[in-house]
Amino acid sequence: MNIHAVLKTVEALPISAAMRGELDGSEWLFPIVETLHVMALSVVVGSISMMDLRLLGIASRSSPVTRLSKEVLPWTWTAWCVAAVFGTLLFMSKAQTYAANLQFELKFACMGLAALNMLVFHLGTFRQVDRWDTDDPPLSAKIAGGLSLLLWIGVVFFGRWVGFTVTSM
Amino acid sequence: MFRPFADWLAATPVSKTLADQPWVVPTSQSIHILAISVVFASAIMINLRLLGVGARGRSVSQLSHTALPWLWGGLIVLLLTGILQTLVEPVRQFVTPAFWAKMTLIVLVATMTALYARAVRRNAARWDHASTRPLQAKVFAIASTLMWLAIIVCGRFIAYTWSMYQ
Repeated sequence: MNIHAVLKTVEALPISAAMRGELDGSEWLFPIVETLHVMALSVVVGSISMMDLRLLGIASRSSPVTRLSKEVLPWTWTAWCVAAVFGTLLFMSKAQTYAANLQFELKFACMGLAALNMLVFHLGTFRQVDRWDTDDPPLSAKIAGGLSLLLWIGVVFFGRWVGFTVTSM
Repeated sequence: MFRPFADWLAATPVSKTLADQPWVVPTSQSIHILAISVVFASAIMINLRLLGVGARGRSVSQLSHTALPWLWGGLIVLLLTGILQTLVEPVRQFVTPAFWAKMTLIVLVATMTALYARAVRRNAARWDHASTRPLQAKVFAIASTLMWLAIIVCGRFIAYTWSMYQ
């Protein structure tokens, strides 16, 4: 089964039909799910930018990096999972259209790069965090923080643009 | 009542010029969402701390001192991008009950937050110790969280309900 067939099957599921408002009483499902998606993504982007700004040495400089990450990142991950669940439902409503949408693809490219950036940072610079936990972070940490910030801004921009190109809402 | 004003605004050269640029609204809305993230995350962080759930490594006054400038800064960005969006699509905003509910909630939550900020600034020690913290702390935390959530709902629902009020 190729990808097109998979997307078509996904779109034919009853839950996808409900997301399109085609089932009785499901007219408001898409707006409700989208609103919950926005709430969750606000927490993801807001909390991750706290971490990014700390790595850039711009904000929260009085908090050690390790303490801030222990406080903030569990919320980021939880909210990301919530946003992903609701995002999947949004995607299912028009799986074929979204998959072929340029802005949608760019959004996920940004998210993929953000994940890669995080992985590189954790396996590299973050291992010696003890040396700069309470100080101005080294250049490599600043680059990681700056890249993360830019990529998440990209995720939000392209995400919002998907709405204008697919549903015009 | 607001319809004539909205129609007049929509007919002004500045509104027409902006409306002719298809990138203005999506760009402004993207910045609007980024600002929502900053405001909402800052508010939630303060509120969770007041409820004793998160950020226990920092005192209430320290956390407020760090987070409140971001909250106010984000709110200014929200106001500016919101004004721009209203300028481009005045009718859509002014005819929709969700828009007015949102504006009312913003005035209320901003006033509450300003009062909270003043109280903590004036008597940090009292707010920092759980035993002396006023009961209003928890009331504020729960009320403001619910109001910010309602503001997001109203904001998104302007887009989904405005055509019903034309």
